[in-house]
Amino acid sequence: MNPVAIIAGSALVIGSIGFLVGIILIWASEKFAVEVNPLVEEVNEALPGANCGACGYAGCADFAEKVVDQVAPIDGCPVGGFDVAKVIGGLLGQEVKEAESIYPFVRCNGGINCTDKIDYDGIEDCKAVMMLSDGEKGCSYGCIGRGTCVRACPFNALEMADDRLPHVIKNLCKSCGICVEACPNDILVMANDTEQVHVLCRSYDKGKVVKSVCEFGCIGCKICVKNCPADAITVTNFLAEIDQEKCTNCGQCIENCPQKSIMMRELVVEAVAV
Amino acid sequence: MADMTISGEYFRGIVKDNPIFSLVLGLCPVLAVTTSVENAIGMAGAALFVLLGSNVIVSALRKQIPPITRIPMFIIIICTFVTMIDMLMEAYTPPLYKSLGIFIPLIVVNCIIIGRAEAYASKNTVKYSIVDALGIGTGFLLVLVLIGAIRELLGTGAIVPFGFKLISIPITPSTFMILPGGAFMTIGVLMAMVNYNRIRKARKGGQ
Amino acid sequence: MEDSLFSIAINGIFVKNFLLVQFLGLCSFVGVSKETKSAAGMSAAVLFVMIMASVASFLIYTYLLLPFGLTFLTTISFIIVIAFLVQLVEFIIRKFSPPLYRSLGIFLPLITTNCAILGVVILNARLDYNFTQSLFYGISAGLGYSMVMLFMAAIREKASSLKVPEAIEGLPHAFFITTLLSMAFVSYFGVIPT
Repeated sequence: MNPVAIIAGSALVIGSIGFLVGIILIWASEKFAVEVNPLVEEVNEALPGANCGACGYAGCADFAEKVVDQVAPIDGCPVGGFDVAKVIGGLLGQEVKEAESIYPFVRCNGGINCTDKIDYDGIEDCKAVMMLSDGEKGCSYGCIGRGTCVRACPFNALEMADDRLPHVIKNLCKSCGICVEACPNDILVMANDTEQVHVLCRSYDKGKVVKSVCEFGCIGCKICVKNCPADAITVTNFLAEIDQEKCTNCGQCIENCPQKSIMMRELVVEAVAV
Repeated sequence: MADMTISGEYFRGIVKDNPIFSLVLGLCPVLAVTTSVENAIGMAGAALFVLLGSNVIVSALRKQIPPITRIPMFIIIICTFVTMIDMLMEAYTPPLYKSLGIFIPLIVVNCIIIGRAEAYASKNTVKYSIVDALGIGTGFLLVLVLIGAIRELLGTGAIVPFGFKLISIPITPSTFMILPGGAFMTIGVLMAMVNYNRIRKARKGGQ
Repeated sequence: MEDSLFSIAINGIFVKNFLLVQFLGLCSFVGVSKETKSAAGMSAAVLFVMIMASVASFLIYTYLLLPFGLTFLTTISFIIVIAFLVQLVEFIIRKFSPPLYRSLGIFLPLITTNCAILGVVILNARLDYNFTQSLFYGISAGLGYSMVMLFMAAIREKASSLKVPEAIEGLPHAFFITTLLSMAFVSYFGVIPT
């Protein structure tokens, strides 16, 4: 074939393929056009974009849609917090009230204070350890210390300290609550700043058993119950639990606890702030 | 951009922006053609040809190409050079053409080339784009030859590029190295070594 | 080519597996195989595009390029076809299944530069397959790709909780796992006499 024919042929073939492709794509972009509510885009822009799922929806884009559809609450994003809720409220023309910020609290003071039952060498995951005859520590209700919560946090707001307990870095925490879900022993609980007094124990073992494995475990002696002026403490199955609605943060229980199981939250945070 | 030097940009392409170990692009041909040093050199040469050509044209036209159509334009430009080298190799180096097989036309989807066109050639002058192409091409060549040498030496006991017997060692060759398993293992070990070096440097730098 | 459909299928899925034997599609492989969910999404998209690309490129090659002696336009016309199909698929998924579209995210446009897809269509042309053979090869290649992706994702998910030396963490680890997987596939060599 002579060169002119080849060049003309190629131009024709590629040109017509390109033309056809172009026509079909233009048609498709109109036929399959998706109605995007610009408001959804604006709300999405205001969101943190972490796609952590703490709001209960499939990512930030989904939450934005649901908020505009008035299915999800405006302050439904715990990570964005009040600031984001205010912006969204502004976009939708609605008022938003400030909610108190909540942080996870570690209800265990075991860690290195608690004896080890077995010598564990395996997958560094608390859930895995728990599947192995109730864990490696003497107390099967306590913090296992293998860092599943630390890894679960999408914002790196938890870290394992030398005492083999997790500690919360308040300014990184976005209150999403994923760590609470991740802990197999329910050690972490979300509490706001007004809930200062907590029992640092989750053990339902009898007092004698608790004392033999842990220095700070609750033995269920009920001294705190007797001393509480607000009647906020109940002991069930050898474990004291504080009803945060009734608690006035007076600290009487803390002074009287023989095991030092109850602590004032700020003190705990300060004491371990490294 | 004022402190760009030709040698600086060239060596950056070999070490800091090494296509395989730093950018981790273009893995497919690396593992497929490194069964021997000869194939490795052939592939690197073809890739360099395409890289040079596309970098020059993209850089020369960088002000003319509208941003929204740039990726299709880059692909068309790269395609042109790939088709060229494909036909050239079929005509002038038939044994190499046969052993590289479909990996010559597959250079067009090699992320290295599109990546450089997008990240470098579309933003820099023709002069520096040429230097960048040479640098990246050299980096690519060095890695390919390294892996090819390891695989050929351990897999056949000798390195014989283009009929010249380079070296041969008296070991029982292990065909495993020529097989896919050998390719993955070699690159795994090399990457681990590069990582180790990087971590060690970071630790020293941090202290 | 005289290849029977059955031998094409066995070749595509096992003997000449695209990922582990022919080394095609590796960039997406190491990038996407970290989680089963994204691996499954990517595999489905790749399979779908492979089938359509096999058909479309066969038609273009047989009726447009071969008769006019323009086979040197193979590479460029195939890549146009693939890019066009991927864009079309993106439109359709975005319209009919927004959650799927969101979960695939960046992977969809990335299929355009996937060597496996261009590899299938070029192989179809070079091996002179007829329509049914091309279609079958596309399906088999896609199935082989999906199979290995899902294996790899399952293994990597479990392996992510293992303690490995820092230098090996990440890509080198993935490559060592791939070494073992590929060794299994070597046992298929010779099943189809070449």
